[in-house]
Amino acid sequence: MDVPHPQPVPAGLSRRSLVKRGLLGGALLAAGGAGFLAFRGGAAVTLPPDGLLVFTPAQFAVLDAVARRMVRPRPGWPTVDEVGAARAADRIAARVEPSAQKELRQLLGLFENGLAGFVLGGRTRPFTRLQGREQDAVLADWRDSRLAVLRTGYAALRTLVLAGYYQSPSVWPAVGYAGPPGIFQDGPSQPEWRGGDTPRPDGNGVWHGEALP
Amino acid sequence: MSKAGRILTGRDHGASSTVHCDVVVVGSGAGGSVLADRLTARGLAVVMLEEGGYWTRRSFDGREDHSYPRLYQEMGNRATDDQSVLILQGRNVGGGTTVNWCTSFRTPRTVLDHWRDQHGVKGLTEEALVPHWEAIEKRLHIAEWPLDRMNANNQVLWDGCGKLGYSRGLVRRNVNNCANLGYCGLGCPLDAKMAMGVTLIPDAVERGMTVQANASVRRLLVENRRVRGVEAQLLDPETDRPTGVALTVMAKTVAVCGGAINSPALLLRSGLDGNGNVGKRFFLHPVVIMSALMPEPVAPWSGAPQAAYSHHFIERGPGKLGFLLEVPPVMPLIGATVFPGFGEEHQQLMEELPFTQTSIAICRDGLLPEDTGGTVKLRDPAERRVSIDYPLRAFHFEAFREACKVMARIQLAAGAREVRSLHSRPVRIQKAADIDAALDSAAWEAGRVRVATAHQMGGCAMGADPRTSVVDSTLRYHGMDNLFVVDGSVFPTSLGVNPQESIFGIARWASQFVAAATA
Repeated sequence: MDVPHPQPVPAGLSRRSLVKRGLLGGALLAAGGAGFLAFRGGAAVTLPPDGLLVFTPAQFAVLDAVARRMVRPRPGWPTVDEVGAARAADRIAARVEPSAQKELRQLLGLFENGLAGFVLGGRTRPFTRLQGREQDAVLADWRDSRLAVLRTGYAALRTLVLAGYYQSPSVWPAVGYAGPPGIFQDGPSQPEWRGGDTPRPDGNGVWHGEALP
Repeated sequence: MSKAGRILTGRDHGASSTVHCDVVVVGSGAGGSVLADRLTARGLAVVMLEEGGYWTRRSFDGREDHSYPRLYQEMGNRATDDQSVLILQGRNVGGGTTVNWCTSFRTPRTVLDHWRDQHGVKGLTEEALVPHWEAIEKRLHIAEWPLDRMNANNQVLWDGCGKLGYSRGLVRRNVNNCANLGYCGLGCPLDAKMAMGVTLIPDAVERGMTVQANASVRRLLVENRRVRGVEAQLLDPETDRPTGVALTVMAKTVAVCGGAINSPALLLRSGLDGNGNVGKRFFLHPVVIMSALMPEPVAPWSGAPQAAYSHHFIERGPGKLGFLLEVPPVMPLIGATVFPGFGEEHQQLMEELPFTQTSIAICRDGLLPEDTGGTVKLRDPAERRVSIDYPLRAFHFEAFREACKVMARIQLAAGAREVRSLHSRPVRIQKAADIDAALDSAAWEAGRVRVATAHQMGGCAMGADPRTSVVDSTLRYHGMDNLFVVDGSVFPTSLGVNPQESIFGIARWASQFVAAATA
């Protein structure tokens, strides 16, 4: 398969070099995700009331759409809305370095981009305008792609969205996890030794409690 | 006045400053802490710089969403550039020792012999290391974890190996009064783990060492054959962003102890490329994973994370990577990102988490002549994120495939109802007779099967020849008088065992050379 690029591509970037550099090397992302074209015609979603730190509303809409396919409504499970999965993904992205934030923005653009979608998988509509099953097919196309760059993109997007959902303790009951044992609760009362004239506290390195079974 | 030093964070400085000392230690993990312990014991003035934050038992609440951002490199999301290998690596005062699973092996003699024979390493023999290992084992309470306290996750590996006649062993752990909670990977809430942050670092602080957390060392101040000191930018402990305050530490000797990714990156930022060898021969014990649905609850987050191991497949003959079998703890957040699929398929796997046993095969890379490992390179030098390339080759995939078969046999022998590979489209197997065919036809290609690592080694390989190595057999950078690298990055190959005690031992052994250069 010969892949033409949806936007002008910097000289010297063959498909082979793109594949070799990996998606987060950035060139295909820059081509697919730059500019207004990437997000033209995307679906609008409700934004977090406290705003976004990293992503634009259009990028956020892609995250939100991916989250809804990654975690389906299921008895006993909080919804992605209840967890605020896409908002949490934006907050996670806020802590990574600027270059990585840029790559994530580009990745969302490429994923949404109907023109890139046509080139890479035959669809012309933006990801956020597809039906649920069609969105699943796009995710599977990226996951199973012959192009390493798309598999990389799938892995990065999947990790970000799943981290946004599963970071929440509200998910623990759904997966049968009771959370950390209560013995952790004495933590905040422990001293934090900073050296100097303060003697090293007994607890710093020495546990006197009973060994538990 | 106490003679004790201080533990400072990025908030403790209002203005840029310069301090002077005998030795500046860059990095506070297994290498830097042991080195600092020995140097302060000799009366030297040491300043230790750590890029991560200072976190203690106060904050170790067992929550993944709190611990990964605080305690791990890139919030637990470090990976190779192509995302094909997930890299779990510590980043805090104490480094990997704060978050590792306590497994303590001495360096195998075969590996030390290989380093001597193939890389010209001199003097680093088992005999030379034994006294250092013994001292460390005593201070850190390293002892075998008893079989009767083994958790269900480990029991599957133990029982399966027993049934199939594979050799097996009990893991030695650096714990004192361990309550068998299982939260070692998120920071021990009881201080039972004898991590550096509660042992050798406070020991050294009591002898006068200053620890500066949230200090990102940007470059070494190189002048001909000497390093005059280091320049660091301080980070805000909350946001991890630079505060604008700089800290310069001038020292007689500089020890780079940032681990196999950050140490080569610091040398490269400082213009030291070791004849092109810095960042090369990067090894990471690539890990493949099999999960198993068990008939009884496993609760893979509970109990000492690693208690059983098997070295049955560590020597598999010429051209093949050997592998070490262990088990990992699994909690919801890390489990969700590592277990494959999306939507209902993925949610089903997650609902089964309490009944899921997980086994790992840790592949011993770097010992085959054709295995030159990966490469650590700089991206934008102004950024902390570096480029990590680890090409997965045919010999990796052969080992991954065979290791997955072995793990599947073990899990089924121990009673698993179904075993699953961590391919992006998982292979599911219910009967031992189906294992070979199912895994032979699986997709063995980068990005189609989950590969991870918790052990980073190499990048500043030691060796006799400056044309092929970075540091000499005293861990001194070739061609520099007072620059040492003291951490897992100096290993010329991987080990085939969890690395912390090897790093402890080599750092303790090398402290004599660092001290001698400082006199």
